[in-house]
Amino acid sequence: MNKENITSAEYIYDIHGHKGMIKVITNDNRYWVPNNAPENKDYQVIQEWIADGGTIIDNGA
Amino acid sequence: MSQLEVNKVIPQSGTTLTVGESGDTITIPSGATFDASNATTTLPSTVVTTTGTQTLTNKTIDASQLVDASVSNAKLANSSITLNGNAVSLGGTASIASGMFRNIIINGDMSIAQRGTSKANVGFEYGTVDRFQTLQGGLGQFTQTQDSDVPTGQGFAKSLKMACTTADTSPASGDELYIRQIFEGQNLQYLKKGTANAQSLTVSFWVKSNKTGTYIVELFDLDNSRHINKSYTINSADTWEQKTITYAGDTTGTFDNDNGASLHLAFMLGSGSDFNSGTLQTSWGTSTPANRQVGQVNLADSTSNYINITGVQLEAGTTASDFEFLPYDVNENRCLRYFEEFTGANTHGGLYSGSTYIGHLQYKVRKRTRPTLNNVTGNAYTSISNSSGGDKGGTDNMYFNGNANMYIVTLSIDAEL
Repeated sequence: MNKENITSAEYIYDIHGHKGMIKVITNDNRYWVPNNAPENKDYQVIQEWIADGGTIIDNGA
Repeated sequence: MSQLEVNKVIPQSGTTLTVGESGDTITIPSGATFDASNATTTLPSTVVTTTGTQTLTNKTIDASQLVDASVSNAKLANSSITLNGNAVSLGGTASIASGMFRNIIINGDMSIAQRGTSKANVGFEYGTVDRFQTLQGGLGQFTQTQDSDVPTGQGFAKSLKMACTTADTSPASGDELYIRQIFEGQNLQYLKKGTANAQSLTVSFWVKSNKTGTYIVELFDLDNSRHINKSYTINSADTWEQKTITYAGDTTGTFDNDNGASLHLAFMLGSGSDFNSGTLQTSWGTSTPANRQVGQVNLADSTSNYINITGVQLEAGTTASDFEFLPYDVNENRCLRYFEEFTGANTHGGLYSGSTYIGHLQYKVRKRTRPTLNNVTGNAYTSISNSSGGDKGGTDNMYFNGNANMYIVTLSIDAEL
């Protein structure tokens, strides 16, 4: 996953009401990236995307 | 010289017979046989060696009688050695160059390709062969394949091939292209990097390309932003050649002892001036981008260009040992730690609460970290979660949820570095 290809990102709440995942839509795929997983390379890409101005949508549980 | 001819010499009295005096040399002529096969023979405390080949036939050496450390600089034939009994321990500066799992590279024989065997316009991604990532930063376009072209008689069945499909004869300054494998720090602690005892590393590999010339192989310390880059030469076009490069140990910067990315080995394939306008950094030093691909040929300068690589081995020490072939299942399991292609063929869930159904997926191998899930196909699932824990799958909170008709057919589970 490349930050240049990210078109949107949204928090996905698990059945316990926690922000478990981040659903990322890119030009050619859909990724379910674990939230708060600093060793996950895609989570690292999302952090870079946020640093560049991206915002994760939060529609609540 | 007088000569005495008798058939037998015996002591005049007692049982001791002395021949000659101290300092004398007793000579047994060439061609004579000294037969002591029926006697108990005690050799002097120091055996004077003779020239020529001495043969010990059907005799046993009583190791308990050998003085400790009396066998020095033993010269053993370059063939297999059979050891009977206890394990061998190494002392001093001896290394485990001949040990199992000495190859830091996973899937160095390119035999595992879970994602597929061909990827057109490969980008910054894991395209085909497991554990080998392409970093394509705008230098032409390439198709990557798991190829069957291999060096003859070396035991390999697959190689990784990059074939140029769109040429770039004038790279922009920031363009770059390389193939790399990244390693977890917790698997590298025995290299003792960042200490006075830092181990050297040696990489060996087979390579074939139509484009001869200088190529660069890089070690990059991702924890401390340090690198060392060395060159090799492809001498003959379209010919498999084996290359060996040794890197000095780095006494600066330790690897983190965790499951994160600490080191990469990269096969450079070309770049713009941002990465080749300096001086090749052949000793460990802080990151200087302009020193990383100096002298590297541009593999993207023609659509006729290709490169095949296989038999990649990175090991501690200053010499390359034979490639360490692992059983297919062992190799596959090592790859599964980082990536798994799940094909569940209608994996249904069960009722969780109200109208919510959930289904668990058990990973074949515990993952390096909580993985990304993608390439999902199935029906009626509304979300997928591996919220807490989640590196094992199954009941470790990796589940999908939806209505009673939901199921999952395929899923990519990605925990790569």
